[in-house]
Amino acid sequence: MLKNVNYFLLFFVFLTATGCAQTSVLTRDGEIIEKAADDRILLMPPDIELYEMTMGGMLEPKADWTASALKNVAEALKQELKANNDTMISYKEPADGSNEFKVHQQLIKLHEVVGASIMKHQYPTVWQLPTKEDNFEWTLGQRTTRLKEKYGAQYGLFVYMRDSYASAGRVSLMIGMAVLGVGIPLGQQVGFASLVDLKTGDIVWFNRMFSESGDLRELNLARDSVQNLLDDFPL
Amino acid sequence: MTFLKTVLILVMYGMCISCATPGGEPGALGDIKPGERPELHTDEAGLWMAFDNMEEKLKTSGRRITDPQVNHYIRNIVCKLAGPQCSDIRIYIMQIPDFNANMASNGMMQVWTGLILRAQNEAQLAYILGHEIGHYLRRHSIQAWRDTRMKSNVSVLFQIATAAAGVGYVGQLGHIALIGSIQAFSRDNEREADDVGFDLIAQAGYDPREASRIWESLMKEHAASEKEAPSIFFATHPPTEERIETLTAKAQAVTAQGGRFFVGKKELEAVVLPLRASLLRDELRRGEFKETQILLNNLMKNEVGLGQIHFFQGELHRLRAEPDDQEKAVVAYQKALEFPNAPPEAHRALGLFYFKAGEKPKAREALERYLDLKPDGDDHEMIREYLRQLN
Repeated sequence: MLKNVNYFLLFFVFLTATGCAQTSVLTRDGEIIEKAADDRILLMPPDIELYEMTMGGMLEPKADWTASALKNVAEALKQELKANNDTMISYKEPADGSNEFKVHQQLIKLHEVVGASIMKHQYPTVWQLPTKEDNFEWTLGQRTTRLKEKYGAQYGLFVYMRDSYASAGRVSLMIGMAVLGVGIPLGQQVGFASLVDLKTGDIVWFNRMFSESGDLRELNLARDSVQNLLDDFPL
Repeated sequence: MTFLKTVLILVMYGMCISCATPGGEPGALGDIKPGERPELHTDEAGLWMAFDNMEEKLKTSGRRITDPQVNHYIRNIVCKLAGPQCSDIRIYIMQIPDFNANMASNGMMQVWTGLILRAQNEAQLAYILGHEIGHYLRRHSIQAWRDTRMKSNVSVLFQIATAAAGVGYVGQLGHIALIGSIQAFSRDNEREADDVGFDLIAQAGYDPREASRIWESLMKEHAASEKEAPSIFFATHPPTEERIETLTAKAQAVTAQGGRFFVGKKELEAVVLPLRASLLRDELRRGEFKETQILLNNLMKNEVGLGQIHFFQGELHRLRAEPDDQEKAVVAYQKALEFPNAPPEAHRALGLFYFKAGEKPKAREALERYLDLKPDGDDHEMIREYLRQLN
């Protein structure tokens, strides 16, 4: 019972905390990650989309912001891994329609679904599955060896981020409503990252991140977000 | 009083911002040009990005039909209609039994098999594809997006203005009015896409009278349905008497001038027939038996592959399982077997019915016949086991 109350408090704190990034790291049970000097990590194409929150509360996709965010996050990840003495290998998309393309795309889609399931069912909320209370065991399956063979990398890093910013109209609305005593959300940063052992397909490390500040459009701020996302990174 | 003033000033400020956002005025956009891509900083580029990402996932969807024959056939129709824009359009045929086709602003076109199964000829299919190309050419996605954004901005401002005045519930009325006007706006787009679709098929030499016919049969099927929520296509493309009348009048004007018009019944059938059994199986899984019955009635009128159609009529009764359905199923299976191309599964269905009814000799005969015709079927072990029990 006490445990449940603690979880509830944790969740509550997480819900109410604003202003700073919230991260929560999970690692696979019984997995020993041996750090080597020359770990090669394959960065899978980061799944990032940036939006502007309109005054009416719609999220409008922004192509130019997303393009700079993709560049900044890739650069920030590269710098971060280099600082850890790891080598980052960039993914190159195979020819459209080739068999390789299909296999890789299915892995990317699978990771998105598995990542979303971890977000929903692993963490101690009302949606946590009873079988996920004391363990962390998720896998993409052994097809990941196809990536290992092609790139000669031991690990794959999958990154998913969504970021939204309030439009000027939304900000003025927030101020107007605050005067009336009503809170209006102004956009937020949400993300998760998984480190996958490409030999087994197992997710050996996972982190999620929430933040109501930050800006992936700026390299310096993107670096802060990436540092938060790679909190307790085992390599 | 100063409090209310502060709020109103802020609201006015917000309104000015919303006026300054680009493209609040719908209908003021030019048509998309061949090879055109919106500039990266625009809201249109944002929509394209979202659709590009969606398309990347669609490419490897398990529901995608990759059969070259049907892909080639539909691409040819689209190219006949879209001309220079043909190479900007990418077609994804999805094995989904609902009547639907849609087109995103980035050129991603989806054609669902429920449409292919229901179109009675190539001209009808071409008309729906032309209608979708019309949405694309006239940039309706971005128009609808801008319109919705503008209205949601106005709506939220109306809500705070009324909240500030102390009449919060009036805000709800504003929201209802907003939903109504978004729908009215998309109905205008539907009329425009009707016009473009009609002109495209008429230019390509298709029989223009088929345009209103496919809407009519869609309305008929919808009227038979007991569902409260209409199908996705019906909800987003509500056909109305007015639109059907407009299309009929336009078709009369074209055909009055005389000439030869292409219908393409045989052409569509040649492509659909190899897929039809699998599409009808999907169709029955929807569990919308009244709609499926109308479809089967139409297919029966065509008199192509009647053995297969009667077999699926039997399947409809078997799956619906209402009173009398069992007897009706048996009659339909027997009818199917009067035709030379009846599926072997009709024998199996009859055999299993007789097996349950305890009519052993009839059951044995039907199941043996099924095994003769399909000795390597997935279920041959099971059927042999039934036969052992019958002996």
